[in-house]
Amino acid sequence: MSKITASNFYKGLVIEFRNEPSQIVDSQFYNPGKGSAVVRVKLKNLKTGRVLDFTFKSQETAQEISVDTHEMQYLYSQNDLFVFMNPKTYEQISIVSEIIGDFTRMLKEGEVYQIMLIDGQPVGFRKPKKVTLKVVEADESAVKGNTQGGAKKTVILESGLSVAVPLFIKTGDTITVDVDSGEYVERAGQK
Amino acid sequence: MKTWQQLKKYPKLWRKHFIREEIIKTIRQFFYKRNFHEVETPTLLPALIPESYLDVFSTDLLLKDGLSKRLFLATSPESSIKKLLVAGIGNCFTLCKSFRNSETSPYHNSEFTMLEWYRVQTDYQQIMRDCEELLVSIYRKVKMLTVNGKPKSEENHKDRLEYQGQFIDLTIPWIRMTVSSALNKYSAVDLKQLCEIKNNQVVYPRGKIAAIAKSKGYEIKLTDSWEEIFHQIFFNEIEPELRKFSRPVILYDYPKPLSALAKLNKRNPLVAERFEFYIAGLELGDCYSELTDYQEQSRRSDEELKKIKKSDKSGIIPDEDFIEAIKSGLPVCSGIAVGVDRLVMLFTNSKTIQEVLFFPQSEF
Repeated sequence: MSKITASNFYKGLVIEFRNEPSQIVDSQFYNPGKGSAVVRVKLKNLKTGRVLDFTFKSQETAQEISVDTHEMQYLYSQNDLFVFMNPKTYEQISIVSEIIGDFTRMLKEGEVYQIMLIDGQPVGFRKPKKVTLKVVEADESAVKGNTQGGAKKTVILESGLSVAVPLFIKTGDTITVDVDSGEYVERAGQK
Repeated sequence: MKTWQQLKKYPKLWRKHFIREEIIKTIRQFFYKRNFHEVETPTLLPALIPESYLDVFSTDLLLKDGLSKRLFLATSPESSIKKLLVAGIGNCFTLCKSFRNSETSPYHNSEFTMLEWYRVQTDYQQIMRDCEELLVSIYRKVKMLTVNGKPKSEENHKDRLEYQGQFIDLTIPWIRMTVSSALNKYSAVDLKQLCEIKNNQVVYPRGKIAAIAKSKGYEIKLTDSWEEIFHQIFFNEIEPELRKFSRPVILYDYPKPLSALAKLNKRNPLVAERFEFYIAGLELGDCYSELTDYQEQSRRSDEELKKIKKSDKSGIIPDEDFIEAIKSGLPVCSGIAVGVDRLVMLFTNSKTIQEVLFFPQSEF
């Protein structure tokens, strides 16, 4: 594996930082008024999910870590572990919730997601750009009244996430949800 | 879309640029009121004060017979102003374009506007007070603009500025903190641990700071200089703490290796009279009680030249005329350089320097 100089860091790069695989979330060159340039980065520890700020000397080097991305199918969750399977090899791996982050509430059984691995160990989860989920429980008694004020009701989705939606959404509909906030975006399909 | 196109489409965006205009006007009025001379300094220079960490722009002046002469874009107006101080101009300021050849970042544009002012027969303490008063003057002017001159009840009594979600109270006096106490408080390092006395002189051996940095877990190579190691500790441990203050912070009395062109502090020979001020994490200005000793200035110039020659940076021509001027007698003085674009960022609540420029380099 090769060494990379701090001034060549880029977003997404994974390096070894204090013996842990860490991904560069943000990297900025900074020239103090009087003094040599430094590189200020935000690093995400891929094992713990923690993000920290660190300043490198611009000529400092770090060990680059190669990361493999595999498509894996989500099977089920047990306690705090999420079990995925490689559809080609049928090999199964368990991933801790910290790696998946907030997205655990949007995981759909049977769906294929991208998992990042270092030496076969899961270190990252790539969120899909778009999520559509089916409504499994909706209060159908909510009446259509004055919707101009944006009347909302709460429904439960197949992943277990509950979300506020407009009154016209019914059980069996599929809706698009914002990947980051988990909020309703639009109706994707009707029952 | 280029900035001019955005301005054409969304006229609301002019606001930031009009605030910039007011800031520039306020700066001029501030110094005129205090009887400072406004001086114009050249952008094209035949020679520079060597500073090894700066990359410079150079160009060629065409002469007769196909000959040419190398010229540089000024990295700051410092050498020109000091020559004028030697000549006897007295208190003076300039607002000028300066150029540093480096990557752009949210805080850097290679061409930027610099404000420098110098006072004679005084030291950095007076410049600290100038900074406080100047920023409060600008704040009050900008606030009048943003509320159309109508005071907004109680809010108006406090000079409270909002920058990127953080409220900063500009009330004078600002927080003053020595580098030594910041090191102690945030890094658990005693400045005395970093130096020793050699031939009656305070020196800062590289090995001492390197050992401390290593014990903190930093990776230190033999080629890392004292200054690089210090800055790594500073940016990781001290500067993030300065960001948390809801008031401006004046960090002063820098260790000798970080302020070679500043006068040593008479009461504490470990440090030199230099300060920087920070507001909401923005580094806004850098001030020295100026070194008036030409031999020291000359020695420093040679040292920097050596470093430049060792590096792969393009060669510069050292300003010997500058050394000559200092030799003929720089009056006791103190001066500061303030990044005007960053001031505008602060007062227009802009996250990046690009937002406050009509023609940011990022659009080239």
